[in-house]
Order: sequence, then structure tokens, then C-alpha cells
Amino acid sequence: MNEPLLEVRDLRVGFQTEQGLLTAVDEVSFTLESGKMMGLVGESGCGKSVTARTLIRLLEQPSGRVLKGEVLLEGRDVLSLPLEAMRRIRGNEIAMIFQEPMTALNPVHRVGHQIVENLLLHEEMSAQAALKRAVELMEWVGIPAPDERVNDYPHQLSGGMRQRVMIAMALSCNPKVLIADEPTTALDVTVQAQILDLIKRLQKETGMAVILITHDLAVVAETCDDVAVMYAGRLVERGPVETIFRNPLHPYTRGLIGCLPRLDHPPKTMLPIIPGMVPGLRDLPVGCRFAARCPNQHGNEVLGTRQPWKECGGGQGVEACACFANSI
Amino acid sequence: MSLLTVQNLKMYYPVRGGVLHRTKAVCKAVDGDSFALEEGETLGLVGESGCGKSTVAKSVVRLLKPTAGSVVFEGHDITRSRPGALRSLRRQMQMVFQDPAESLNPRHTVGQILEEPFVIQKLGTRGERGEWAAELLRRVGLPEDALGRYPFEFSGGQRQRIGIARALALKPRLIVCDEPVSALDVSVQAQVLNLLLELQTDFKLAYLFIAHDLSVVQHMSDRVAVMYLGKIVELAPAADLYRNPRHAYTKALLDAIPQANPSRRHERKLLKGDVPSPINPPEGCAFGHRMRHPRWKDSVGMDLNLREVSPGHWIQPCPCCADL
Repeated sequence: MNEPLLEVRDLRVGFQTEQGLLTAVDEVSFTLESGKMMGLVGESGCGKSVTARTLIRLLEQPSGRVLKGEVLLEGRDVLSLPLEAMRRIRGNEIAMIFQEPMTALNPVHRVGHQIVENLLLHEEMSAQAALKRAVELMEWVGIPAPDERVNDYPHQLSGGMRQRVMIAMALSCNPKVLIADEPTTALDVTVQAQILDLIKRLQKETGMAVILITHDLAVVAETCDDVAVMYAGRLVERGPVETIFRNPLHPYTRGLIGCLPRLDHPPKTMLPIIPGMVPGLRDLPVGCRFAARCPNQHGNEVLGTRQPWKECGGGQGVEACACFANSI
Repeated sequence: MSLLTVQNLKMYYPVRGGVLHRTKAVCKAVDGDSFALEEGETLGLVGESGCGKSTVAKSVVRLLKPTAGSVVFEGHDITRSRPGALRSLRRQMQMVFQDPAESLNPRHTVGQILEEPFVIQKLGTRGERGEWAAELLRRVGLPEDALGRYPFEFSGGQRQRIGIARALALKPRLIVCDEPVSALDVSVQAQVLNLLLELQTDFKLAYLFIAHDLSVVQHMSDRVAVMYLGKIVELAPAADLYRNPRHAYTKALLDAIPQANPSRRHERKLLKGDVPSPINPPEGCAFGHRMRHPRWKDSVGMDLNLREVSPGHWIQPCPCCADL
């Protein structure tokens, strides 16, 4: 098997707060191959965005820190690189797009200028050539009349167009990995479809790998090859999208898929629910973190010890809590 | 007689600008919509942002005074009601907002929030109001000790339950739900939807249910109205609309919904362009204009009021977008 493009091993990230150290991501491991699109799903506070920000070393400072683990990009540990070297990787080999392009773009600079900035930082080219390239990039991501739009300010563009500018910026240096953090959450459903379609098309054209962070399982089902499900800072299950949706093993994954209103469900009937709510990061058990909401019968021992990770073949893996491990 | 009848509702906002602050243009947020709602029924209202959904919602409960048209609730035209009459009508119609963090007063305890409707309507003694508030909390699945706590002490899902309890306080017959679950996590969303369904059966509530998530609307609604740029373009029983959409915009909207089923991925016919601005909208069928449909011109000057094409299924009869 080929060496994966990106490998995350036992990543643990914490934040120093007034209440002490809170662990937002706890021993998360996954790999990503080039040309693949992986969905990272979970509810708010599950650590999906923190994981992504760690990969590109944009953790909030000074409170955020990596406590353990490594992130290998083609064998190099990104987390131990000096800042200068990291700056060459960020935006160049790993790029990121954010949920709200209005806050990610600088409101006082023309969008063309912002794309040019990245090009000049990472590539040897004249300002004129960079501007020409910026127009080409904008055309590539489907912005109409790019030679005029290049002089617009972010507020003159619609939400969908702004997200396209973000994508043009992110892809300007042909990154190997694109991290998309909730790229369509702020958009309408028709524009969401356009942007997801665009990301897929660009991925096919460039062969890059994409990590798509979202809370929307339907988006994952439509676009991703693989999916990783996080809950309260831990990875609870991952595998190929088809397998996970057909045969989810972890009770959380099952619950999450089950509680979606779907077009093929009978309307106005009770939806299956996951009782309770997403736990806070304080006072989490060492063992299974889903136990308090889990529909399965379980003893107290699942709370006291970390439940083992189990590979189930076909790329599917799950945190095999004792409450269901025997039935796998 | 229907519980609520909305006739030719229009809400125009002046767009001012320049040194003299003159009216430069008119924003037609809602432009001539009509629909009715029966007792115990849910009417879903869907559309993209800026299509006028929330303006319709606010006009129905008279948080906005519409420019033209009538909103008749139990025989009273509330667009013409005087403040006193409106106050007693508001017992019958309540609203649940999208963001419970913003719609609950952070300086009031949950008890104060839930008693306020009774205070405004001058109902009960202090003791009775406290009991009623506790009863409301039980009904929406929150512990009674929540009465003395403040909204920030609760999670998003719990806050939305408080918002729902407040709306229930005066035993209304209609609740307008404006994006009630879009700020919630998926697992909590299902809980709140279930609660709304239960309450509907228990109290024979009618809902005007607004959401941008079409799967959620389909799950909750008896009938669904699709809005585009201030106008309802299609209105039909939910199952009929989702199975057999007959306006091009509805089709495009339904086609764009991601399905939580990876084995049923489909090639989408993508809509091009963005939602146009309701300031100076195009004449005729706005969606035909966006699609640059060759027959869009024929819709200019036409009577675009909804036409019934099969029992209960109404569409805007434009030559460019409608399957007549």
C-alpha cells in the first residue's frame, strides 16, 4: 500500500482555560490518501474544527496546544516544523477554506489583491503575472466576468461568490490537501449544491485530497469517499461512506444517521432521537463518552477504561465499546 | 372558515439613499401572496434566504404592518385591528424564533420569561402564574428547578424548549415557527421536532412552519408553499409537492437537497447564479428571468396568481416555468 498523503497519529489537543486544561481532541488518528475526499462529521464542540486547525497549525494562541501526537504530511511531521518552514507549507501544500467567507476575507482589500498576495508569497512571479493568474483562477472557479470582479471588494459579492473567491485563493498554489471547514453552512441549498459540485470538480482536476468538515451527514453522503465521525473530542467511527451509511456500528453513528428527517420517511411521525445533549468538555469520562446517551445496556466499567479501537475490515474502524463489541 | 386566511399580502420597504435620504427604490419583500391555514394543520414555507419567508411570518402575527392585503384570523382582519383588539388576538397566535439565545431576555429568569405572557394579559394571581409556568416547563420536558435559572445556563436545545413553552403559555391556536431548529445540533433537532409534533396533537395547534431545510419541512408539514423572490410559486400537499413538483423552481430546489444515502447519489442539474435582489425585481416570472428562459417574456404582464392544476395543488401559471 502506498504511503498516505496525510497521516494523523494519536493527536491530542488541549486549551488552557481558567477552569484548567480542557482536552478538545483526544487521541484522534486517521489517514488521508491523495485524490480522496474525507468527511469529518460531528456536532458542535466535538473537536472537528480544532482537529482541522491543528493540521494547518492555526490553533488559537496562546491557549491552544498540541499535547501529543503527530501530523505527517508525506512523512514530515508538520507539528514539529519551525514556523518559517510551516509558513511555506500553509497555503501552499495545505490550504483551508472557512465557513463564513465574509470574515475570512479582508474587507478593505480587493478580492484580486487577496489572491495575488498568496501567489506572491509562495511563487516567484511578477505582480502583473500574478494578477493575470488571479483572473484565470477566478474564471476556473466559475466567477462570471472575472476581469471585472477581480477589482471588487468582498462586500460587493454574494455569499456563494465569496466562497468561490476563497476557493480560488486556497487553490492558487495547487495544494495537496484542502481543508474545507463547513464551507456551505452559511449558504442556501441551491448555492450549496453549486459549491460542493465545484469542490468535487476541482478535486478531480487537480488530484488533491479534501477534508470536508461538516455537521450535515447528507452533505457527506453526497460528496465524500470516506467519513470519520467524532464525538466529544474522540473519533468514534470511520470508514468508506457507503459502508458507514449501510452498516453503522457505533451507537452514536447509528443515532446520528437515524435522527435525520429524510424525504423517504413518513411525514409527521416521531423521529428516532438521541436522548440528552452533547456533553461539555469538562468532566468527561475516561471511557466511552457516549455512554450517558447510549441506548444499549452497559455496565459502569465502560466509563472507567478507554474502550479499544477495532478495525472491522474494508477500511471501517470503530471505538468498540463493550456494550456492542461482541456483536461485531 | 379557515383559521387564518392571507389575501394578496404585500410588504414593500422603501430603500433610501443619497444626501436627502430620498426613496430611491422599493424592496418588494413580499409581493401579493395568498394562502390559508386550517385548525391543527401545518403549512411549511420554504425558499432561499431573502425570499420573504420571515416577512410573511412577521406579518401574520402583526409584528409588521403589511403595505397591502389582508390577514384574517378567526374572522378578524388583523391588519386593521386596533392595539387593544390586537392584544387579545395575540393570545391566539404566538411565535417561536430561530435563535433562542437572542429571543429570551438574558436578565430574566426562566420563571419571569414564562410568566410574562400572563402578566401582559393580566391573568391569574402571582401564585397561579408560578404554577402555570412550572406546568409549561414540565410540558416541554424541562425540570421544574429551571424556573429560577437564567437562559445562559441552558443549552441551545433547552433554550428552544423554553421559547416553545413561552409560545404555549396562552394556549394559542396558531404558532408561527421561524426556523425553529436551524441553530440546533442534529441530535437535538430531532428532539425539538418531535416535541412540536406532540404539542400539535395535544393542543390542536396550527403551525406556520418556516425553514430552509427542505427535509425538515417535508417531515413537519401537511402542505408546503415554495417562495421565490417574494412570491409563492407553488403550494401543494407535502407528499404531492415532493413527489410531483410542477414549477421549475421547486424542481431545482428539491434537486439541490443532499440525500443522506450514498448509494443514491445523482447527477444534479445545477441552478446557475444567485438569488436576485428583491429591490427592483424583474417583471413577470422572476425565476424564468434568472434561468434566461426563452419564454420568460411571455410571462410579463400576465396574471401570475396561483392556479389550481390538480386538487389542492396550486402553481404560478407562467409559460416559462410551470407544468400546466
